[in-house]
Amino acid sequence: MNPARKVAPPETASLYIAHQKVHPREVSGRFNTLRVAATLGLLGVFYLLPWARWDGRQAVLFDLPARQFHVLGLTFFPQDFFLLTWLLIIAALSLFFFTALAGRLWCGYACPQTVWTEAFVWMERLAEGNRQHRMRLDRSPWSASKLARKTAKQAMWIVFSLYTGFTFVGYFTPIHTLSQHVMDFSLGGWETFWCLFYGFATYGNAGYMREQVCKYMCPYARFQGAMFDRDTLIISYDTKRGDPRGSRARGVDPRAQGLGDCVDCTLCVQACPTGIDIRDGLQLECIACAACIDACDSVMDRLSYPRGLIRYTTQNAMDQRPSKVLRPRMMIYGALLGALVIGFAMSVAGRELVELDVLRDRNALYRQIDINTIENVYTIRLVNKDNREHQLELLAEGLPGLTVDTDTPWHTVGGTAALSVPVRIRVPANAVSGGKDIHITARSSDGRIEVRTKARFIAPATP
Amino acid sequence: MNHHGEVDADAARTALSNRRAQCIGAVVWPSFLGACLASMLFFGSFDPQPLASELLGEDASRLAGYTLGFFFFWLISASASALTAYLLVTRPPPH
Repeated sequence: MNPARKVAPPETASLYIAHQKVHPREVSGRFNTLRVAATLGLLGVFYLLPWARWDGRQAVLFDLPARQFHVLGLTFFPQDFFLLTWLLIIAALSLFFFTALAGRLWCGYACPQTVWTEAFVWMERLAEGNRQHRMRLDRSPWSASKLARKTAKQAMWIVFSLYTGFTFVGYFTPIHTLSQHVMDFSLGGWETFWCLFYGFATYGNAGYMREQVCKYMCPYARFQGAMFDRDTLIISYDTKRGDPRGSRARGVDPRAQGLGDCVDCTLCVQACPTGIDIRDGLQLECIACAACIDACDSVMDRLSYPRGLIRYTTQNAMDQRPSKVLRPRMMIYGALLGALVIGFAMSVAGRELVELDVLRDRNALYRQIDINTIENVYTIRLVNKDNREHQLELLAEGLPGLTVDTDTPWHTVGGTAALSVPVRIRVPANAVSGGKDIHITARSSDGRIEVRTKARFIAPATP
Repeated sequence: MNHHGEVDADAARTALSNRRAQCIGAVVWPSFLGACLASMLFFGSFDPQPLASELLGEDASRLAGYTLGFFFFWLISASASALTAYLLVTRPPPH
C-alpha cells in the first residue's frame, strides 16, 4: 500500500464519499429567466464577436501571429502592454467590488464554467429528457433507445465543443481565413491543435466536470468568503420562518400543527446544480445561481404562502438589522475601481497614434563635416499605431542654426506599420560644445499628429 | 473476503480515484491560470519567433512559439503545484 494513503490527515476523510452525478432539476422563474438571458447574451457575444467587421477588418482580433491586438478601431502593439496589465487589475478589482456587494454574482451568472455547463445541460435535457428521465436512463441497462439518446447527446456536445474551439482560435487568427482553411481541410497544425484543445476542455469541463470544477478546482470559490461581510447579498433559507419542516394537507394552518412554512418537498435540493441543501446554511459549494429560489417560490405560490422562504438577503437582514450598501469597504473598492477605469480610458484616448524612437548612430559620436559644421547621425523609428497611412516630416530644435537632413522630406508610414529613417542633424560648430539635449518632432501632413521626443546631440568639447 | 467486504473495498477504490482526480484538478487548474498569466507577461515583452526558430527550425511559425512557451510555463507551474499537493497530502497527522 502506498504510505501516502496511510498518513492522510483525518479531516480529508469526507472527501472519500464517492462522487455521484448531479442531475439538476429544471426550474422556471425570475432568476432562471435572468440566468438564461445571461447565458444567451454571453454565448452570443462569444460566438458572434469574431465575425463582426470594423473598417474592413475583424473587429476584435488578438492577432498573435502579427503581434497586434485589434479592438474595434484601435490597434495595440507590444509597447501598449501596460494597458493589458492595467485591464487585468481592473478585472480583479471589479471581482472584489461585486463580490463584496452582491456575493457570487460571477459564479451564478457570468463564469464560463456556469455558462457552458448551462448550455451542455440544455443539450442533455434535449436528448435525454427531464431530471427523472435522465436518472432513470442512467440506471437502466443498455438498450437501443438508451444508445440512441446517449449518441444524440454526445453528437451535440462534440459538435458544439469543436465549434467552440474553432471560435476560440478565431479570436487569435483571422476567423474568415480560418474558416476557409477548415472548409478545404488545409488548417495548420498549431491551429488544429488549439481548436481541439479548447474544444476538449469545453467538453470535459461543461459535460463531465461541471460543479466539481467549482468545488475542487476553483480558487475564487475558496477565497470569495474573505470579501464577504454582513451586508453582502447572499442566498439564504429563512430558518425562523421555515422550520420545523414537514408536509401538511392543503389549506391546513401549519402553525396549528407546529410547522413552519417549509413543506420539505426538497425541490430546492433537486434544482441545485452543485447538489447541496441550501437549508443547511451558506456553503462553500453554493454558486449563488438562485435556482433554489425559483424552485421554492413556485411551491410557495402553489400553497399561497408568501414568496421568499429562500431568497436573496444579507446576514444583517436575517438578523433583523438594517443592511447598508454604502460602507467603507464598498467605498474604497468603488473609488479605486473608478480611478482605475478613468485612468485607463484616458490613457487609451490620449494614446499617441505615432511613436517615435531615436537611436544614435553607434559608429561615431559626431562627424566634423567641415571647419564650421558638426553632424550627428540618428536612426529614427516611426511606429504608426493608426489604421490609416500617414505622411510624416521630421523636425528638430534646441540649438541655434540646427538643420535636419533626410533622404526625402516626407516619410510615408502605412497603417499599423513601422519605418526606420536615417536622419542627419547639423549644427554650426561655434553653437555647441559637449553634449546638449535637442528635441525631435514628427508631424503629419494634415497637422493632426505631432509627437516630440528628446535626443542628445554630441559635439567636441571646446576648451 | 466476504461479500460485504468486497463492496466496501470497491467503494473505497472508486472514492480513492475520485479523491485523486480532485487532487489532479486542484493541481492542473491553478497552474493553468498561472501559465496563462506567465505567457501573457512573457510574450508581451518577447517575440516568440526567434524562440520557435531556435527550437523547431527556421520556418517554425510564431504560433508554434506561443504554444511551446505556454506549455513550458504550464509544465513548470504544474510541477510546483503538484509538489505542494504532495506535501499536503503526505504530511504527518497532527498530534
